[in-house]
Amino acid sequence: MRRGSIVQLVVLGMLFGAGAAAVALLIPWLPDPASEQADRIDFVFWFVTAICIAIFALVAAVIVYSIIHFRARPDDDEDGPPTHGHTGLEIVWTAIPAALVTAISIVSAVVLAKNEQLPNTSSASAARSAQKSTVDGLCKSRGGDPMKPLVVCVTAQQFSWLFKYPDYGSASSSILRLPIHTTVQLQLQSLDVIHSFWVPQFGQKQDAVPGLLTKLVITPKRLGTFSVICTELCGLGHALMRSESIVLTGDKFAAWTKSQQSGATGTGGAPSGKALFVSNGCDGCHTFKPAGAKGTVGPDLDKLPDFARRAGKPLEQFIHDSIVNPDAYVEPGYQKGVMPGTFASLPAAQIDALVKYLQQGSK
Amino acid sequence: MSGAVVGFHEDETQAEHPAPAAPPRGFRRLLAPGWLRVLWTIPLFFGIGAGLVVLIRWLEGWDPIWNGSVITTVELTTVPLGFLVGLGGFDYWMRYATGAATQAEDHSGHGAHSWRDYFRINTDHKVIGIQYLVTTIVFFVIAGLLAMFMRAELARPGMQFVDNQTFNGLFSVHAALMIFLFVIPAFAGIGNYVIPLMLGAPDMAFPRLNALSFWLLPIAGIMMVSSFLVPGGAFAAGWTGYAPLSVHQPLGTVFFNMGVQWAGASSIMTGLNFLVTIITMRAPGMTFWRMPLLVWANFTTSLLVVIATPFIAGSQFFVMFDRVLHTHFFDYTAGGYPLGYQHIFWFYSHPAVYIMMLPGFGIASEVISVMARKPIFGYRLMALSLMAILVLGFSVWAHHMFVAGMAPWLRVPMMVTSMVIAVPTGIKVFSWLATLWDGRIHFYTPMLFALGFVSMFVIGGLSGIYLAAVPIDIHTSDTYFVVAHIHYVLFGGSLFTIFAGIYFWFPKMTGRMYNERLGKLHFWLTFVGFNLTFFPMHYLGIQGMPRRVADYAPRFADLNLFISIASFGLGASTVVFLYNMITSWRFGERAPANPWRSLTLEWQVSSPPPIFNFDEIPQVVGNPYEYGVPGARHGVFNGDRVPEEHEVPV
Repeated sequence: MRRGSIVQLVVLGMLFGAGAAAVALLIPWLPDPASEQADRIDFVFWFVTAICIAIFALVAAVIVYSIIHFRARPDDDEDGPPTHGHTGLEIVWTAIPAALVTAISIVSAVVLAKNEQLPNTSSASAARSAQKSTVDGLCKSRGGDPMKPLVVCVTAQQFSWLFKYPDYGSASSSILRLPIHTTVQLQLQSLDVIHSFWVPQFGQKQDAVPGLLTKLVITPKRLGTFSVICTELCGLGHALMRSESIVLTGDKFAAWTKSQQSGATGTGGAPSGKALFVSNGCDGCHTFKPAGAKGTVGPDLDKLPDFARRAGKPLEQFIHDSIVNPDAYVEPGYQKGVMPGTFASLPAAQIDALVKYLQQGSK
Repeated sequence: MSGAVVGFHEDETQAEHPAPAAPPRGFRRLLAPGWLRVLWTIPLFFGIGAGLVVLIRWLEGWDPIWNGSVITTVELTTVPLGFLVGLGGFDYWMRYATGAATQAEDHSGHGAHSWRDYFRINTDHKVIGIQYLVTTIVFFVIAGLLAMFMRAELARPGMQFVDNQTFNGLFSVHAALMIFLFVIPAFAGIGNYVIPLMLGAPDMAFPRLNALSFWLLPIAGIMMVSSFLVPGGAFAAGWTGYAPLSVHQPLGTVFFNMGVQWAGASSIMTGLNFLVTIITMRAPGMTFWRMPLLVWANFTTSLLVVIATPFIAGSQFFVMFDRVLHTHFFDYTAGGYPLGYQHIFWFYSHPAVYIMMLPGFGIASEVISVMARKPIFGYRLMALSLMAILVLGFSVWAHHMFVAGMAPWLRVPMMVTSMVIAVPTGIKVFSWLATLWDGRIHFYTPMLFALGFVSMFVIGGLSGIYLAAVPIDIHTSDTYFVVAHIHYVLFGGSLFTIFAGIYFWFPKMTGRMYNERLGKLHFWLTFVGFNLTFFPMHYLGIQGMPRRVADYAPRFADLNLFISIASFGLGASTVVFLYNMITSWRFGERAPANPWRSLTLEWQVSSPPPIFNFDEIPQVVGNPYEYGVPGARHGVFNGDRVPEEHEVPV
């Protein structure tokens, strides 16, 4: 190989490397991280990107150099030199990629282990927690052990999310609220098909599988509101299966859990309509002014009387039927099968409370 | 190569065989294999299927006796069987099985003398190869139109043209057609045409099986497309059809379950046929180390097909049984295991990625070596790296399941094996580059597509490294990043090599040259359109756009509009390809026997080759890629003199 061609190759390689680096650095590829796990994922991302830019630059330089310099004229019938191989080169391009992927694997494995680490899992605390833990399906609370991570039970169903806080009694919501700088363990369950929980800014993702309890660790590090997205195709409402996660300061989170515990039960122990509306996740999809709900996936419940008129039913009857059998009447512009049918299994008293609440609120 | 220039000697060849029987007349035409017989065998088998269901339901006292969805499910087996019986797919074997006198083979079902011969059971591998390619391109166009429709819907957030169920059907059918009816069988088609010629064989080892395996393909394709017509719409659980969602989908899902069975059976038969052909029908002197790399690639691919395909067959049967027979394979409330589906499915579908890529590697090796006028660099390592990918390919399936909730310990080992596959793949890429180096490169259309493939496949391979690294995969899985990755691998990889292969062997297959100017236009439109369409998807995915959604966050609106516009340009580039193929096939310039000055055997016979390929059996005397080696020969024919060693100038 002549010296001039090496210089040209290096220049080409640098040009492609610089171009690829510019694409990598000038475009804000990654969402602004909001969890400690996302920070570590970003590190792996940049580690891999650096290696990939080098490989891309090398390959692109060789291809472009070859296209420029080894182009044959159409009438050129000559053949190239009969080079059959070069053992040294072949060893080099087997060994170097092998070393690079080994490095990536090690970095990835370390980050994976760190991203799933829980703050404290001593056997003593495990024994303590066994006594007091409350259970929601397969999901278990930390049982009053402050050294263990906060547990949030995530229940996914077509097509809504419900977040319960077993460490704080009956607190539950269709919006995920998390205290900042606190390691939280999400324990995911699904009632029907496979769903997947993802908040791009947290970087963490986990499928919710019917019959299994899957877990995900998040340590929020930035205040704000972020979208919760279902990423596993779960049926016709898949694109609409979104919610929000709000990272709060510790104080605000404590205040919220307290309000949940006191507000969840109305006078006389019966849950209030508003509490039911929120704890069953209705606000995740519907707008309803009295509850402060702003969901846009399903119809606006402030207009319930109009809907009932169109369906040709008395308002109370209509609301009841729409909860128990959502597909009986579907407002034009919306689709059948999106609203879960599982609310039919709520206790009759709760359904009645919801109907009353919606009937009064929408008038 | 004087001894190699052969015209049609059909009369001579046929003289060795009994004369074909006179065509049947009168009502006997209804009994002879062909489309007339199909007209009554399909209703007959429909009746058998429906009758069986009604009989069983009546005996068991189930209500209603006439159950449309059960009958449809059964008909998806019996009607295609009726079609194959009518067309004559089983005639020879039926005689054999029933002990009737076997008909002496008169070769009347071999070769094409008019266009009609492409529409019947034909045992000529060259006819079957063209049947395969034309059929797969038809389904490629249909699947591409579905993608255009999808992009139209995605041009703006919110719902514009279709409802969610239809949209889910669009991308499910798009992917299923592209995978099972285009990429896999298109490679089988190219292999069918080229492999026997490359080996110096007169045909495939099992010509009748070959014919049958082709005719399973239109069955599978029509089944998948027609699922749009059944109540509830097309199958809509993605081409991955994850349980338990797929178990509870409308009737269209069964069309996917069964379509995969027919396409899979076709794959397996072809795979077996390739294996036996390659092992037993090599010309004298064609040792394994003298086989062209496309033959090596089809050999490893066929091993993958034969070993892996039964797994997807199983997974789809389980879904269908859960649905029709109320078994509980994936129903956790009755002891089923939803993740079991994914393990079985990916145990096929990851090797399937290599089924869709290794033949492309083979095509790229042929094209690059011939058009750079140099021997392939590191031939043996190229062949061995194919074998390495074959073995490793079976040990990485769970990298599709890093967030699925499977055993957590399985993730790191599967990451390591996935990473290791980058090594043999890297060897291939670097060897292609070294083959280019110092060559005399001719940039004909096949070479443009081959180089386009190398560069795009490198990008797809690098984004694969991101996805193999578990922490990054946790962030990006099931997002548009994955969509971008698979299209760089399957479009930039497989499709570019299929185009390269079609242009490269077009003169051999049709006897005419394609239009070079249109070919180059097609390449550049495709190359630019492809990158504009799919590169921005990486960004969408990392930023937070999940895949398989008709509606998305408004902040992604501009980029999605851009992608949609680019994708229409990409779609339009296919029109150039189709126009070029059709007009060149009819009116193109006559092709010489060996327009690319290639050494491999398929170019040493006329274009198109004689009906039994070689009038004289070639003798293989050297390696297939000895460009630049003075006087080197790969194959010689009887009467040709092999140059003595001392005669060869060094």
